Amino acid sequence: MNAIEIRNLTKSFGEKLALSGLNMTVPEGSIYGFIGENGSGKSTTEKIICGLIHKTGGSVKLYDKDHTDIDVRASVGVLIESPGCYPGYSVWNNLMLQATNLRLKNKEDEVRKVLKLVRMEGAASNKFKNCSLGMKQRIGIAMALLGNPKLLVLDEPINGLDADGMRIMREILTDIAKSGSTVLVSSHILGELEKIATHYGIIRGGKMIVEMTAEELENSCPTFVALQTKDLKNTKEVLEKKYSKVRYDEEKEYLRVYDAESPEEVAKFLYDNKIIINELKTDKIGLEEYYINLMNDKEGK
Amino acid sequence: MKFEKNTFKKRLSSMLAVDFRRAFTSPLYYLMVGISLVIPILILVMVTMMDGSVSVNPQTGEETIMKGFDTVWQIIGSAGGAGAMSMDITSMCNINMMYFAVAVFVCIFISDDFRSGYAKNLFTVRSKKDDYIISKMAISFVAGASMLIAFFIGSMIGGKVAGLSFDLGSVSAANVVMSMLSKIFLVSIFAAIFVMAAVIAKQKLWLSILLSLGIGMLFFTMVPIITPLDAGIVNVILCLVGGAIFSVGIGIGSYHILRKTNIV
Repeated sequence: MNAIEIRNLTKSFGEKLALSGLNMTVPEGSIYGFIGENGSGKSTTEKIICGLIHKTGGSVKLYDKDHTDIDVRASVGVLIESPGCYPGYSVWNNLMLQATNLRLKNKEDEVRKVLKLVRMEGAASNKFKNCSLGMKQRIGIAMALLGNPKLLVLDEPINGLDADGMRIMREILTDIAKSGSTVLVSSHILGELEKIATHYGIIRGGKMIVEMTAEELENSCPTFVALQTKDLKNTKEVLEKKYSKVRYDEEKEYLRVYDAESPEEVAKFLYDNKIIINELKTDKIGLEEYYINLMNDKEGK
Repeated sequence: MKFEKNTFKKRLSSMLAVDFRRAFTSPLYYLMVGISLVIPILILVMVTMMDGSVSVNPQTGEETIMKGFDTVWQIIGSAGGAGAMSMDITSMCNINMMYFAVAVFVCIFISDDFRSGYAKNLFTVRSKKDDYIISKMAISFVAGASMLIAFFIGSMIGGKVAGLSFDLGSVSAANVVMSMLSKIFLVSIFAAIFVMAAVIAKQKLWLSILLSLGIGMLFFTMVPIITPLDAGIVNVILCLVGGAIFSVGIGIGSYHILRKTNIV
């Protein structure tokens, strides 16, 4: 069964079309990485799923039921844009209110449990407005996790988190998925998303352009030989005599050879041309690069 | 996958629990009740101090003598509602002002749901909005009733401090009780109006207060007329039935507004 199934979803804000026939399938128990540039329609889609804004057309189903079904919606945890907490209330009171809203039986125990999960036990008595950005984000996540929701919708949950916070978040989301719940998570930090996502959906201009599993992504990401020498410019000119796909990686200051059969072959060729190699390895493009390439292809760059 | 049945009763009880917990753990409620308690004390003391003072218009030389309260009950209402239309200070500064204070409470209370983003948590797990409207009207009614009662208590204290007469004259104590009951039942109409205004305005607090005061003003003139100091059982029934009918009608309107509009 699919946790979320969206067909031909459209949404317009006046003249502006935010979503134009979006199709999306999120399998049950998956961690679905929802990717797209700013204004592509990610948040709009998530808000429609949670019933916070109305769709213009199409269908949205959660566990085979319409997304407005009151029974299904009671099992959805949400963190969209910013954590929904009353600023003047303490962290504890905010979570207790949500526990009341969800009709949890052992409210205090449940609140303690989620606070422990996001490592915020010590901040329970702090007023929400006095918390740092990272703390607020963790509280928002704790709020979404209350009551063990079957579906979690998280919009940029790792924004503002430090390295430890990101690690905790990865562990939490992985555990949730293992327990059978489904996580829909959008993020611009693709490196982090890549570590946990089992499925991906890439949206552009209000349309889904690619949906794939982590395995499919792995298979569609090309491998290359990465190398570093003293004079990269000269090395590139030499390599281009034999290989047609040689690229300079500005960020890492590497040369990449995409059409080499093996690193040994490249090493031998450079040795024959009297070029000393400092570093040589095989590597693979990641989600971030795949995404950028895909976007560039769509723009015809 | 099986989901727990989320009945109307369950949804309403949890929504009421959230709202009452929030109201009674927030300073706003106590602040508004406190203000309601202090205002009549200040009015009664200050107006009594100014009683008989003469002000002169510098251009015309016309003299105006300041008229204060004769009895403490005048701040609760005027017999027969006759004072309703006069513009002297005793008919302007009385318990009926509290309906506007209720507007401020309701608008801040509801607007906070949207301004804080908590509405996202609320409405994600409750796709039907009827429980939300009913709960908000209930908490608004309770807050309004508390404010009126606080004003009444403050009036008694203020009357004592100012040394005003507690003589009921032709009005009986039962009349005063029924006048207060009528005013309390009437809160339900105002609460429904203010909830509707707040639901229309959502996170725009200024707009919700503006709408509440604007629409509330239309109904305000009926308050002294149908809840006079010498109110009888007819006034109580009128306010109770009218309050119920109006609040249900306005509540249905608010529900449809909330259902048809986006939450964020």
